[in-house]
Amino acid sequence: MRNTFVLSRSRWTPTLSWIIGVLVIWEVCSWLLLHVIQVPLAQSKLPFIHMLAQTLIGYGTTLLTEGWVTFKNAGIGFFVGATAGLILAILMSISKWIEQLTFPYAVASQMIPILGLAPIVFGIVRDDQLARILIAGYITFFPVALNVLRGLRSTNPSALELMYSYAAKPWTIYWKLRFPGMLPGLFTGLKIAAPLAVTGAILVELMGATNGIGVIMLRNLYYGPSHIYMFWLTVITGALLGILSYSIISFIERWITPWQPEYRPSGGED
Amino acid sequence: MTVAKVYTPEIQLDHVSMRFQTDKTEVVALENVSVDIQKGEFVSLLGPSGCGKTTLLRIMADLIQPTSGEIKVAGKSAKEARLAQKYGIVFQSPVLYDWRKVKENISLPLEMTGVKKGERESRVDELLQLVGLTNFQDKYPWQLSGGMQQRVAIARALAMEPEILLMDEPFSALDEFSRERLNEELLSIWSKVKNTVVFVTHSIPEAIFLSDRVFVLSPHPGRLAAVVDIPIPRPRKQEIRQSKEFYQLISGIRNIFEGV
Repeated sequence: MRNTFVLSRSRWTPTLSWIIGVLVIWEVCSWLLLHVIQVPLAQSKLPFIHMLAQTLIGYGTTLLTEGWVTFKNAGIGFFVGATAGLILAILMSISKWIEQLTFPYAVASQMIPILGLAPIVFGIVRDDQLARILIAGYITFFPVALNVLRGLRSTNPSALELMYSYAAKPWTIYWKLRFPGMLPGLFTGLKIAAPLAVTGAILVELMGATNGIGVIMLRNLYYGPSHIYMFWLTVITGALLGILSYSIISFIERWITPWQPEYRPSGGED
Repeated sequence: MTVAKVYTPEIQLDHVSMRFQTDKTEVVALENVSVDIQKGEFVSLLGPSGCGKTTLLRIMADLIQPTSGEIKVAGKSAKEARLAQKYGIVFQSPVLYDWRKVKENISLPLEMTGVKKGERESRVDELLQLVGLTNFQDKYPWQLSGGMQQRVAIARALAMEPEILLMDEPFSALDEFSRERLNEELLSIWSKVKNTVVFVTHSIPEAIFLSDRVFVLSPHPGRLAAVVDIPIPRPRKQEIRQSKEFYQLISGIRNIFEGV
């Protein structure tokens, strides 16, 4: 037990000292900007850490509630988009014809600036909940479809011949070989998409939703310098939501595909 | 082996030719190859690259179809033999599925044919014992050495107790020492299974060490240059590689290549 404790402590020491280091430098820079260099609106540029902490104590619950709303909607959109991307990738891998028909549109759809698309979608559906889900799904869809398709296509030819030698049915080949083989691609797509889905949901909220982290972000920006600490906290919350989404996917990936090369202990055995 | 041997043909190729069409030029991979392989025989297809030995094996496996010629595998057409799982195949690379543990990889063909779970497990245990990997059954392929991975592939190929084992340069990626050890292990496995083996290789000593007969193929176009009997008694141990008889067989086959 003592050994594991020492081990875990030594593992976390670099991370912890790194975080503390950044916070200290932040605080010092903030102080320099305000009192030494005396730039205008110094606190808007880099607020004091201790002020942020103080605001967090007062408004932590608000950030949590609003953050959860954003995260939930982004999550639903992410799930819908990922499912759609997965299904389309499978269809494209089955039929070249479907790929040729749909792939150009899938690519073109990604050329539309999301900043312009969000208000259009919002204007059409007139429901902030649904608009957030749609945009998050829209962002998720493409990287998932692309990476899954690549995973499905990259099956080892000899592994396919092996299946052929077993006289395997096409469905069996998918189930036993192609699906497990594409999982790394799926997770790559999901990891790219997850933080983007959060960003997408926040973007829609900026267009005029009734709740969510983006709403309080906009409000506090609008109210000016007096709300600067709260504004910074919403930005930080947004970033943390992105990190959280990524971490959740990474965790699931490790659980479902522990056999991937990146999880193999280095050095190996012989 | 025994003197009085009953010959029943297991694989028959009659005037098989294979041409590949690349843009504007036609490559003749095999020209008029006729081969007769007996039941329970260990034969090698030996030749340099470009002699069509792998093509020949793939034709037997019904992975490709020849341009012309007749094929009978286990008394059936090549396709029927494949559909009836008459053969197990081992490729140059082990082709193990990364996401399956050793025992699950071996179990794959059994799952494909709907063998019940309990039966599957006991069969996998037998196979693990046969290839000497019982202690590694719960490892993932990447945790094994190249030679061990190929032993897993052999166990998987033998899972359905096939009449025929087709092997396409299975040890060519291994170093000389591992290869020689695996040659001996393969013979010991085969002495228990006693099915028909067709073994593709470009190594003359490997072909001699393993086989009852060696089919020597020459390249451009791929043709059958000679069939060499290997009268070395079994069981064969590493020491025979040092014997005069072994050297004579090697130089005999070398002369065939130099003659053509």
